[in-house]
Amino acid sequence: MTVAEGAKYVAAAYAIIMAVIIVYYFMSSRRVAVLQRDIQLLESEVKRQTPAPGAE
Amino acid sequence: MKKLLSAPVLFAAAGILLVVGVVLAFWYSPIDASSMGFSQKIFYYHVPIAAAALVAYGVAFVAAILYLRSQDLKWDRLGYVSVRIGLLFSILVMATGMIWGKASWGVWWAWEPRLTTYLLACFLYAAYWVLRSVVDEEQRRATYAAVFAIIAFIDVPITYFATRLMPSGLHPVLSGLAGSMAVSFGICMLGMLTLMTALIKRDYEIELIKDRVTDLKTSLGG
Amino acid sequence: MSGWTQFKAILRKDLIRELRTRDMLVSMILFVLLAMIIFHYAFTVKEGADLTYFTGGMLWVTFIFAMLLGLNRSFAQEKDEHCLDGLLLCPVDRVTIFFAKTVGNLVFLLIIQAVAVPVFALFFVQRSFLGDLLPFLAVLLLADIGICSLGTLLATISMNTRSRDLLLPILLLPLLVPLLIAATGATTLVFAEGIGFGSVVARLLVLLGFDAIFLVAAWGTYDFAIGE
Repeated sequence: MTVAEGAKYVAAAYAIIMAVIIVYYFMSSRRVAVLQRDIQLLESEVKRQTPAPGAE
Repeated sequence: MKKLLSAPVLFAAAGILLVVGVVLAFWYSPIDASSMGFSQKIFYYHVPIAAAALVAYGVAFVAAILYLRSQDLKWDRLGYVSVRIGLLFSILVMATGMIWGKASWGVWWAWEPRLTTYLLACFLYAAYWVLRSVVDEEQRRATYAAVFAIIAFIDVPITYFATRLMPSGLHPVLSGLAGSMAVSFGICMLGMLTLMTALIKRDYEIELIKDRVTDLKTSLGG
Repeated sequence: MSGWTQFKAILRKDLIRELRTRDMLVSMILFVLLAMIIFHYAFTVKEGADLTYFTGGMLWVTFIFAMLLGLNRSFAQEKDEHCLDGLLLCPVDRVTIFFAKTVGNLVFLLIIQAVAVPVFALFFVQRSFLGDLLPFLAVLLLADIGICSLGTLLATISMNTRSRDLLLPILLLPLLVPLLIAATGATTLVFAEGIGFGSVVARLLVLLGFDAIFLVAAWGTYDFAIGE
């Protein structure tokens, strides 16, 4: 197998590895962003509710 | 020290190691003398990913034992995340393995020990996932998952030995690495293990944040 | 009540319950025999096709799928009748329950095999393997132990999930692959070539190792599997 023929396969292999890992990373980044936003909302909600503990 | 081992730092370290490793693999290490020729270059990432997958499953195994002993759910989170990364890497092992197979043997698939073992590992840990999805109660889910993670991890090496009973001599056996190959390979291996650690750490922290969100929601009354 | 007495009591209960009605046994035997007929028609597409080297595979696939049915049935029965809950209320060591159930399942499998193997030999095996009966029985017993021990452990888990009987094959089959490889290899050798004990030894060792490792693993984890 010449370098030229082999190079096709090698490039494909490395490309798949890079692509999958990068896609996975960005998918979890999106999840983190959503969670961070949720946390901020929830924490501000908790802060809003605590000044009146007896009222519950 | 804690800062040094944080996920972003690990990703940076992994990135550097992997880039250096791949550059060395192509420009420093010689082209393989065997019939595989240039396509052998795939092995510099393929084998480290395979090793990292097994290590990830090993982490899940240890986490499972720790969960069963302590009943602390954070070990369950760690186990779950490790299995997911292990599965991801196993799929990559098979994809690169098939590409390498096509390049060096001319066929996309062969029933030889290493490919078969990783195929089975995919099914084993997919079963782990299915098991988790059909148990609603948290502690019970974690317990069953832990038991299965332990059994599954024990099964992987047994599967490998058993498949070697079957006749097949296709998989390239890499007998001893020439010095310059070993250096590139070692760096790639280190890089992949670091990447695995970074991914697991990051996903684990995400799970802990998710738990915190759930706790906040319950304390607010749903 | 000592562990051994408890073991005997639970085993006796399971055996008597099944032997009284025999529905599970009869159904499993019928299933196994039907599977063999189906295998014949599934594989003999070419005139005079020689299935000799498929015999081990056909036999063990049949037994494994029969055990999937049997395990699902017996554990579903236990769960619906709340037998297991009653058992857990007694001061019984969980591991004793595991061994009693495993041996119970083993007995059922052996009964089915006692009927199925002669019929299978009639349908598919050309040479007389009576000379190799001892290695064959060793393979049979060791493989059975592996299937029953892992099957009992996983059936205990799967019965307590939403999917119940659908989950057991997904959990059990990947785990049994090494056992299947060793058992089918050894069985085919006995049916096809009938070499003496020697060539079957490697596979017997794999089965032995498999059984030993997973019996220990099941013993260590059954407490957790059977739950609170």
